[in-house]
Amino acid sequence: MTTGLDQLKHIVVLMMENRSFDHMLGSLKAVNPAIDGYIDSDPFTNLDANKNPVKPQALAEFQGQLDPDPDHHFPAVDVQIYGGATGPGRVANMQGFVTSYFHQQEDVGHSQKIMYYFKQSDLPVLTTLALQFAVFNRWFASIPGPTICNRAFAHYGTSFGRVDMDPFEVIEPIKSIYTRLVTANPKHSAKVYYYDAASSTMEVANLLQNQTEVFGTYAQFLSDCDKGLLPDYSFIEPNYSDHDSDDGEAVASDQHPDHDVQAGEALIAEVYTHIKNGPNWANTALLVVYDEHGAIFDHVPPPACPKDTFHSTQVDPGTGLPFQFDRLGVRVPAILISPWIPKGTVVNRVFDHASIPATITKFFLGSYPHVSLREANADVFIEPNNGQGKLANNLLSLDAMRDDCPDFKMSS
Amino acid sequence: MEPILVPRPKSVRDPKRPVSSLLLAQVKHLREAEKNLPSRYQSGIFSHAIQTESEAARYVQAVTEAIHAAHDDAAAQRVRKAPKRKHVIEIAAVADERAERRTRSISKQKKKKGKS
Repeated sequence: MTTGLDQLKHIVVLMMENRSFDHMLGSLKAVNPAIDGYIDSDPFTNLDANKNPVKPQALAEFQGQLDPDPDHHFPAVDVQIYGGATGPGRVANMQGFVTSYFHQQEDVGHSQKIMYYFKQSDLPVLTTLALQFAVFNRWFASIPGPTICNRAFAHYGTSFGRVDMDPFEVIEPIKSIYTRLVTANPKHSAKVYYYDAASSTMEVANLLQNQTEVFGTYAQFLSDCDKGLLPDYSFIEPNYSDHDSDDGEAVASDQHPDHDVQAGEALIAEVYTHIKNGPNWANTALLVVYDEHGAIFDHVPPPACPKDTFHSTQVDPGTGLPFQFDRLGVRVPAILISPWIPKGTVVNRVFDHASIPATITKFFLGSYPHVSLREANADVFIEPNNGQGKLANNLLSLDAMRDDCPDFKMSS
Repeated sequence: MEPILVPRPKSVRDPKRPVSSLLLAQVKHLREAEKNLPSRYQSGIFSHAIQTESEAARYVQAVTEAIHAAHDDAAAQRVRKAPKRKHVIEIAAVADERAERRTRSISKQKKKKGKS
């Protein structure tokens, strides 16, 4: 029996910024109990500085609330996951979010806002896509730390032992997923579409410096969608800043606090709409995922995982404890979109950003010898269609394309 | 199914928004990359003084475009005119001609010797 997997030719990944699963999609538990979010009767709380329990509340605002930017660097995330406990035998209890945010301003009232989440009606695009396609209950950031290293896992399958935001060196023989594809025989096509030159890419040190030909702009992505010219693999970076542009004023769309969450909703809607209305809809899958949780609460402890090829020294994490890359980061929203996915699919297998190069490599190349241990052990979100995939895990499982996929329209 | 309405973002660009740690990290990466560029591609922007998102975006654009320009210029320089070379057949024909001229010259000299 043929399925959507037999039609698949293009995979697109849009990686947004700094929002946790419960913060963005937690409200959906009330709609579909299979989605591991939050409802008011759940017992999850965090204690504030006065030792009072703080429950999650559906009071998140689009902008102006999470200011200052909650600390999402490695030492702070360690507090968030372990509640401040250190030393051997400690348990990941997700009890440190309010404490961590309190450390920044010592304002008890403000620190409680880290436990706010969005109502379903606040996020019509993300929540519709989650309910209509496949939502991942267990997609975690690759490391309990900040953006640059988490995005490195999406490009390389590893952060080369780094948990900080400084430039890192690619360590041979590991290559980026883009290099693997364009140097393969037969050659495949791959592009990183950044919003524009003023927003650029977060992978400067290696990709932008050495492989400018891999890059295109968001406007080019939209054009490629419309003309049926998508490469085999596309990675889209949102707009990281407010700035002047050729079209006037560009407003940041990455949803990184304190940028406007609604601008990110508009971006996601536009990406989806152009793919859906273009000639490649039948043979394209779109993954919308977030790089890390941005220090915002989530109730699911990240699991342990196989160690990576590289590990950080005791000094690097800033916690006084060595980090072996044997535990994932906090859970993030992740949604896979395709007209071949049954409505209401909920996936409970564990994924992290190393799953991205693992999936792309296995789907387009079959095998590749030089991958990190984390990538080698990562699950794939699209099964390879070469007889080596696990048919039971195929999310593009329908034998006929859906004709009931949602449409979005910008309000006037 | 009716299209789902997406609220138009109400936010406007804030030119004075303080630069975030993420953008400062990106600036740091670009600063390191800029050091590797020849002087004619330098932005002339003092990146350590960046305080707002607008300022960061201006620097990010300048260095990103410079990196692209440097690569494009290097690629253009690789395309240079190859030195004009005679084809193998032409070279062989010239060699044959040369040999024939030598032969004619030798036989002329022999004839001259024979006459005198």
